This record gives sequence, structure tokens and C-alpha cells, in this order.
Amino acid sequence: MHETIPPQESAPEGRSVPAGTSPRGGPGRARTAGRVLVRQDYLGVLVATVVLVLVIGAFDTRFFQFGQLMNILSQSSYIGILACGMAFLLAMRELDLSVGSVYALTALTCALLADQGLNPWVSGLLAIGVGGLLGLFNAVLIQFFGLPSIVATLATLAMYRGLALALSNGTQVLGPPIDDPFSTILGGSVWGVPTTGIVLIVVCAVLTVVLRSTPFGYRVRSIGSNPEAAQFSGIPVARVRMQAMVLSGALGGLAGVLTIGYFGSSDPNLGTGYELLAIAAAVIGGTSLRGGKASVVGAALGSILLGVVASGLAYFNVPINWNQFATGAVILAAVSLDSAVRRRRQGARAGNGVRL
Amino acid sequence: MLEAQGIRKTYGGVVALAGVDFAVRPGTVQALVGENGAGKSTLVKVLVGAVTPDAGALRLDGAELRLTNTLGAIGKGIAVVSQELSLFPDLDVLSNMFPMREPRRGPWVLRRAMAERARPVLDELGLDVALDEPVEGLSLEQRQLLEIGRALVADPRVLILDEPTSALHASETERLHGVLRTLRQRDVAVVYVSHHLEDVLALCDEVTVMRDGRVVVPATAAGSLSVDRVVHHMLGEKAAAMVEEGAHSGAPVTRGSGPSLRLENVTVHGELDDVTLEVPAGVIVGVAGVAGSGYRTLLAAAAGATRLDAGRIVLPDGAELTGGQRGAITQGVALVSGDRRRFGVMLDKAVWENVGQVRSVALRRDGALVRAGRLRSRAEEHVGRLGIRTPSVDQEVGMLSGGNQQKVVFAKWLEAEPTVLLLDDPTRGIDIGAKAEIYTLLRALSEQGTVQVVASPDARELAAICDEVVVFYGGRICAQLRGEQLDAHTILEVMNTGVVPGGAAPPPRPVHGGAVRTHEPPGGAQ
Repeated sequence: MHETIPPQESAPEGRSVPAGTSPRGGPGRARTAGRVLVRQDYLGVLVATVVLVLVIGAFDTRFFQFGQLMNILSQSSYIGILACGMAFLLAMRELDLSVGSVYALTALTCALLADQGLNPWVSGLLAIGVGGLLGLFNAVLIQFFGLPSIVATLATLAMYRGLALALSNGTQVLGPPIDDPFSTILGGSVWGVPTTGIVLIVVCAVLTVVLRSTPFGYRVRSIGSNPEAAQFSGIPVARVRMQAMVLSGALGGLAGVLTIGYFGSSDPNLGTGYELLAIAAAVIGGTSLRGGKASVVGAALGSILLGVVASGLAYFNVPINWNQFATGAVILAAVSLDSAVRRRRQGARAGNGVRL
Repeated sequence: MLEAQGIRKTYGGVVALAGVDFAVRPGTVQALVGENGAGKSTLVKVLVGAVTPDAGALRLDGAELRLTNTLGAIGKGIAVVSQELSLFPDLDVLSNMFPMREPRRGPWVLRRAMAERARPVLDELGLDVALDEPVEGLSLEQRQLLEIGRALVADPRVLILDEPTSALHASETERLHGVLRTLRQRDVAVVYVSHHLEDVLALCDEVTVMRDGRVVVPATAAGSLSVDRVVHHMLGEKAAAMVEEGAHSGAPVTRGSGPSLRLENVTVHGELDDVTLEVPAGVIVGVAGVAGSGYRTLLAAAAGATRLDAGRIVLPDGAELTGGQRGAITQGVALVSGDRRRFGVMLDKAVWENVGQVRSVALRRDGALVRAGRLRSRAEEHVGRLGIRTPSVDQEVGMLSGGNQQKVVFAKWLEAEPTVLLLDDPTRGIDIGAKAEIYTLLRALSEQGTVQVVASPDARELAAICDEVVVFYGGRICAQLRGEQLDAHTILEVMNTGVVPGGAAPPPRPVHGGAVRTHEPPGGAQ
């Protein structure tokens, strides 16, 4: 978040401040920041989120309360973390439909282990490890049985969910006690910012660096761009896919552990349907289903946009049964807006660029 | 009969057909031959309505024929059996025989009526398969016959066979004879497009030769021609000139000293048969052959993309090639493919990202972080050195022309500083200016000590840039041409016949064994 908000505020300023009134470089820097921002893939979702917040807030200013906004951030974090992993997979033309089930199963793992008297922090780390292993299992299915990822993870979507139901007997399992540091820290906040939100921001920052600046990130996008050329260039496609699947599973585990810290218990039906929301969030955030392109920040913003919609509906007195419909409509609107912006930008580039 | 008169077609300034007259008569088999880029494929596409000519007319039995699409041609009885097999592998034989024109009653397909029509045609072709057999279970040769059968079942008046022998092996020529006899009996006018000149002269009644978008030899009786004459016509006068201005280093190809790429007794079942070859650094060695002769398999093997059934490949640093394609790349082997859209570039990514793909991304040679700034400046160096015409290194590669895209592919491999450079048709589909620049680049790299193997379907290109051309025939090396023997004419003839013309014995095969084995521990070579 801290990455995105300052340039967003400075962009309009850059234009409104008359030249010469500010110290040298001021408006110039703002303009540069504005240009950098305009080039980002998540511009569409950022604008949509801000506009939506302003619109809802205009109807009911209570929506602008810091606590309310932080609440949305906290609620969006789980899907946001899953969406960050999904962005990597989509960028290489893969998919993980099992993330919602991994999320539930790892939350259960964390709660069960802590229930057995294991240190909650250790339980949490183990649960994240289990998430990674579940991702590895997905990758192994894809690799050794030659299944498309959508098929393999469709199967594990049911298997992992089934495991969560079986291991918990279909009931809730209580996590560490509410006064344990595990719960007070993960369920707490720092200067009003919920820990889950902070984790999302950290995950975003780290994964953005991974995606933009490490060979792994470049490999992921290379594969999505042109899988055959990637193979021909010596990129170990199978290994990269395995790494990305493990990353996705481990992020599912992280989300599961945060849930235990925040809510104190696991439910076997936790996160049902999250896989599709995570895909939606990533796509809203500018990640292309055709592969080759991804934005981690965009994926997180996409989940926040979905969160804004969910809580905003309450302010409009929308009947609860219309919630799903409204969420779908917002996804459609956000993606269409993004697509339109992209096409205009591309048109402009084609106009400027000389075709050689 | 089907006639084409004064057909012209240009693609963005490139003349593919410059006023071509062509005619086929019922009951005759007419061969259409020419080099790559001579305009054969374009002419075929015009005849079947896939391409609309800029000028000229088609006539069928004297009446003007206007084709806007291939469906129109099929309706007029013009059928084509194309190079790329276009069967549906999941469907059975019968379902493949009647695409879009199944006999029907109401919404139901009449399989019995289909079978009654299909069986005799397949019998005539000698294709002995059950009608309900899935096509994916058929051999390549059976599929080719099935394609011909599919065309025949529609009772065509004109049948175009586009490179049928690329799938039909030499041993099947007899079968093909039979097929063509059947076609003649049915009074079908056959156009036979092929690179196998021996087959052409043996099977066809008349031969038409094309060069540079024109017909240079109109329908001439096959009996009055020889492979030698046909090759001469295909290449034309400028062939000699091309070779003379070629970039031969003139350096004798010396083996046994200095670094080299060595293939020792390499066998790939069905494709390469016990091939031993040494490619020294500092010279450009070409490999040639007809499709299926093994010359491209050799390239794939050296790139680690094909598993060897026997033998081994030793790199210039003395290490054996291991670890598949990625292993080869880490060991300093680069394979530049002419199919750049598929194997070369990322069209949606900037020039600099493409240039850094091998070294910084795949091989991770620049450490744990990819620094875009450094990649950009290195890409800029390549843009300058290779003369890539692009507004900046941030330009998407998809916006560049084919020649410049190909230079980006070169740049990305040069970034990895390869010791072995394998080139598979490296100048496919790019203009003559960019070609010349790439030739110069290859020569410069060769002089810096890179081992180079070039495969190209264009004999003139090989003659112009290589110091030696190794010709493959039936999975074996049949000649190593150099010096005075190295011209496009000889290459084409040896490709087709498997023997060096004029009865002259091939140049003494360099003795790999003695020289190689002195560097090896005993028993290491075999």
C-alpha cells in the first residue's frame, strides 16, 4: 500500500501546482512519479478502488473512518495473499484451483498442532510448510501424470477439502488460547493497522521484488510469454512451475495461519470459493490470463476492491441475497475498465511507435 | 483443363509471383519444382483459392474462374493434399474422408453411404485399414494416402499434391507410382510439387520449373530432362555469381588440431545412422539434405534436444554434451532457430528483456537479482553492434520487422557467449539486406573462434556462407563439399541423388579417428 498511495496523491498535484511556485524538481518529480504510475498494470484497479471508496463515502461518511477502512484491509488480506500467489501462476499460464482448500487444511493443521500442545508459532511454521507440500503435490501431479494444472488442482481442490472435513470430523477446531501471544500479535494491530494487513503488505513487497527483479520472476513471465521459446532458451520450465506451485501452496498456508491467529479457530468450510475470488482479484489487478504479465500489487488491490464492494453493499442497504450478484457486476466493471484503458494505451503506443 | 494466366502477387513489396502462366491437362502429372521462395507455394495457393492474385486470371475449361476461398475451389473440383497433414487424429478413417460434406439424411450422417463410397477409393490406393480405425493409429505414410483418398472421394478434376514425398519414404515410390497411375486413369489433372528431383523425373509426365516468381521452364516432357538440367534451371545464371561473391574465408578446413565440436558415431534411430563429424572452430560448416535425410536431426542432437541412441558429442572444451537442451545451453551451445516466433522471441516483451533471457534469466549468470538497467545498457550495445533498427531497447519485439526480430534472437544468444553456434535456417523469411548483415555477423563470429553449424533449405545460402557443406542422405553423410565443389548446383544434386556428380570420388574423408583419439584416453572414443 505504501508503494501506491503517495504517487497516486502526487499525480494530480503535479499538474495543478503552477510552475515555479515549488522548489526545483518538485513538480518534475511528481510528474515522473505520475508517469511511472500510469505505466503500471494495476492503474485500473487502483483508480476503481479509490473511486468506489469515494462514492461509498460520499453516501455515508462513516465509511471513511480509519477503523472501517482497516477492517476492509484485514478482511481482504486472506484472499489478497492467495491472489499474490495466483498472479505468479497465471503469469506462466498455470492455475491453482486448490488454494481455498489448502487455506482451510493448513488452518486446521495449525489449530490441531497447537491443540496437541505444540508451540503455536512452531505450529504456524509447520502449517506453512504443509501448505508448501500440498503445492508440491499439485506440481508432482502435473509433472508426472502430465495433467494440465486446472485438472490436477480441480482434483486436489476436492481432496484437500475432504481431508479438512475428515480430519476435523466436520467441526470447528479451536486454535491457541485468545490470550496467547500468537493470537494477540496475529489478531492485533500496529498503530491501528491490523497485523494481517501488514503481512499482506510485506508479502506484496517481497513478491513484487521476486517477480520484477529475480531470475525466477523473469522466468515465470518468460514462460507465460512464449513457453517454447523459454524452453529453447534453457529455462527449466518444469522446475519453475514446481517452484510457483509450492509458492502458491505456502501462501495458502500463510493465509491459514493468519486466520487461526485472527479468528482463533478453524472451520472445515473456511475459504470455500476463495480460489475463484483469488483468480478474479489477480485478473482485476492486471494479470493477464494469456500469461507473460502479472502484478502482485494489482492482485492485492484487486482483493481489496472486492472487500470494498462487500462492505460497501451494507451501506447501500442492498439485500444480502444480492451480494453475489453485485460482486460479479463489480468484477465485470473493473475488468472492462481495465481492458478499455489498456486498449487506449496500446493504441497510443502503436500511434507513436514506428513500425520498422 | 485448369489454366493460370499472368498471375501476379506481391506481399508488401516482395514479388512472389511475377506474371506466371501455368496449365495442367487431364490425365497428366505435371511437376512443379523450384527453390524455396521461387513462388511454388504461392502459385498453389492461388490455384486453390487460398490467395487472391493481384493480377491475372484462372480458367477452367476456358471459362474464367473466380475463387474467393478454398471452399469455392473444392466446389469446382480442385483439391489439394498439402505439406502439413490436415487430418483429425481423434476421428476414425471414415469420418476423416468427408469433412463438411458427409452424406446426410436430415440431421443424421449416413455412415453406410460414406463407407460405400470410401472403400473402393482406399482399395484403389492400396490403403488397407479398417474404416473405424482412429487416424492417430496410422503411420505417417498411411495418413498421407488417406489424405489423397480424401481428396479423391470428392472426384476432383484437378489434384495438387504439395510435397507428398516429405512423408512418403523413398521405399514407397513404387506405391506412389501406382497412385499416380490411378489418377491418370481417372483422367485427373495432377500437379506434383516436390523437392525430390529424382522422384519428380521418375514419376511425372511434364516438369515446370520456377525461379524468382517466374516460370523459367514451362511444361517440358520429363524424359528430356535430367536432375542436372533441372537444378541448373532452378538456380539460374546468378547462381554462379552468388557463389563468387560469397563470404568464403578461403581458409582450408583443417581438422584434428584446435578446438572443435565432435560427433562420434552418433545414431538416432530412424534419423541418423552412425554419423561421425568434426566441426572445427574458425570455419562455417553447413549441413544440407532433403527433408528426412537427417541434417536437421544432427542440429537437434548437437543442441541436446534429441536423445542419442548411440555415440556421443564432445564440445570444444573437451567435455561431453549432457543434460538435454538446458544442459547444452549451460555448456555453451546456442541454437538459433529461423522459427523465431515460436522458438526465438517473446513478442510482447521489450527488446532488452528478450536479450537478457538466456544469460541473466535462464542461466542466472548475473547473480540473484536481475538488474534491468544493466540489461538495458547491454541490450543497447547489441542494438548498435548488430544494427537492430528499433526506436529503443524498450520497444516490444512484436513491433519490429522479421529481420530485426531475428537479430534480437542473435543478440540474446550472443549475450550468453556461446562456443558452439547452431543455426537452423537462420535467415528464414527475412529480407536480403538483413540476410547480408547476418552473413557478415556469422563470419565475424567464426573468426573469433566460434564453432558454427548452419542448416538451411536454401542451397545458395549454404554455398555463399559456408566453408564446407556436409550433405546428408538417408541418415548418413554422403559428401563433404568444399573448395571448387562447393556450389549450390552440386549441393542440390548431391542432396537429391546421394552421390557427388561427375563420378568424381568425394574428397578424401578427413581421418577423424587418429587425430581425435590421440586426445582421448584409450577406449574413450568408442
